[in-house]
Amino acid sequence: MICEKCQKNEVSVHLTDIVNNTKREYHLCRDCAQSHGVSIQAQLQNFKNLTVPEFYASPQEKSETANSPEGLGDCPDCGMSYSNFRKEGKFGCSRDYDLFSGSLDDLFEKIHAADQHKGRSPARYHEQMVQSLEVERLRESLTHAVSDEDFEQAAAIRDQLRILESGS
Amino acid sequence: MSLDNFKTNIGEWLQGTGPDADLVISSRVRLARNLANSPFTSVSTEDQSKAVSERIETALQRLDGGLPLHVMELEKKDVVERQVLVERHLVSHDLATGSGSRLVAFDEAESFSVMGNEEDHLRLQVMKSGYQLEEAWSQMCPLERSLEEDLQFAFHSKYGYLTACPTNVGTGLRASVMLHLPAMVITGQIEEMTRAATKIHLAVRGLFGEGTEAQGDFFQMSNQRTLGLSEEQVLENIASVLPNIIVYERKLRDELLERRRERIEDRIGRAFGILSHARVITSKEALERLSLVRLGVAMGFLDDVSMNQINRMFLHSQPGHLQSLVGEPLTTEDRDRKRADLLRSILGDTSGEGFSSS
Repeated sequence: MICEKCQKNEVSVHLTDIVNNTKREYHLCRDCAQSHGVSIQAQLQNFKNLTVPEFYASPQEKSETANSPEGLGDCPDCGMSYSNFRKEGKFGCSRDYDLFSGSLDDLFEKIHAADQHKGRSPARYHEQMVQSLEVERLRESLTHAVSDEDFEQAAAIRDQLRILESGS
Repeated sequence: MSLDNFKTNIGEWLQGTGPDADLVISSRVRLARNLANSPFTSVSTEDQSKAVSERIETALQRLDGGLPLHVMELEKKDVVERQVLVERHLVSHDLATGSGSRLVAFDEAESFSVMGNEEDHLRLQVMKSGYQLEEAWSQMCPLERSLEEDLQFAFHSKYGYLTACPTNVGTGLRASVMLHLPAMVITGQIEEMTRAATKIHLAVRGLFGEGTEAQGDFFQMSNQRTLGLSEEQVLENIASVLPNIIVYERKLRDELLERRRERIEDRIGRAFGILSHARVITSKEALERLSLVRLGVAMGFLDDVSMNQINRMFLHSQPGHLQSLVGEPLTTEDRDRKRADLLRSILGDTSGEGFSSS
């Protein structure tokens, strides 16, 4: 079978696109598929990382996991993948927290109803923590000032925030 | 220290002293910590785990606060010894049954203890008798700070202290109180209390924490949230409900006395009779009878039994302690016999040390 686009190479990708309930099939060679925006490697990677329940998930659920750190691959430090983390419920190392951070806020909201630490910190983090708590406090009062329509106050808080955030 | 001392001693947290000790058996704070730049225990290689153990041991030797600590490597302890450590709440069930390099360190009073290479590299614990959560936390703070200076803990400016399980991230703090609430159980109010606690993010569990069933009217209440609250807020949350629970349990006890005095006295008297005369008794039955006798002591029915004696029976009649006392592994039936012997000897002989196995 010859690629329907370039009419030269052997077909290696069969694509099925469904738009507005109309099914359209494409038969492309590797090069044309890639220029069409289909990375075979990425597809394979996604496929490999799917857990069984995700594999059977509805297309809508699947598209949600596509935006998750699923496609990130394994942690270079501990080898943990996002799907494995969700399956086991345990992190493998500190780096996983940064690697999976895109979907941790939601998870932590479910478990703790919060996503920001407010407790003690090691001495080496003290300055940073004091500042980040101050930033959060200012953001909250900014929201209040705006909802109270106290725009003078809001502008003052915004300026304070700018100074703090540019300094960090 | 050899484990021999465990045969006659009980930890400071079981002395039956401290505020509200008739209802609050003990207070405990636990911190989960991991070493920065080292993978968490579950994915560590054997060499990495050994290195973590060594770093922890070195840091413990240099620990400020002048507490001489006993350090034990779990992999060198036999099954009975490990069971004894679990029963004394010095190590978790997971640490006792795990594999690889694992350690436990604790002071003579068994008030402060450290588990190495549990789910997290470090689990620090302070336990106190009665309701002393604030005191336990005050004791913990300088110890944690001192260890932090030596071992850099994994920390994230947004998520706080990083832990293997997402349920511990942030403060890594689990604060808990072990409660004896027989009147709430007898009157069927315990579910209501559990539901109310859950609403404010407090979990109510059995004697040995997570995944254990409540036995003998003993419950453990602890915070569920570790992220988004300061350590002080966590303690305040428990402090805000505990007085109500204490007042309610006392009120129910008074009502029981008023309305069903004869029945309650009868049940307590029977429980005492069985504990002091039985020849064969299972751990489940012993725990249930002990709970009633404990209620009897708290209500002033049983003058010649002390809280300390009850707590000793409570601890030493558990399977690990019984086997360690006899010095050999026992079948379940043998344990039930030895348990009855032990209970009789503690109740008959107030010094409690004359355990005869005749």
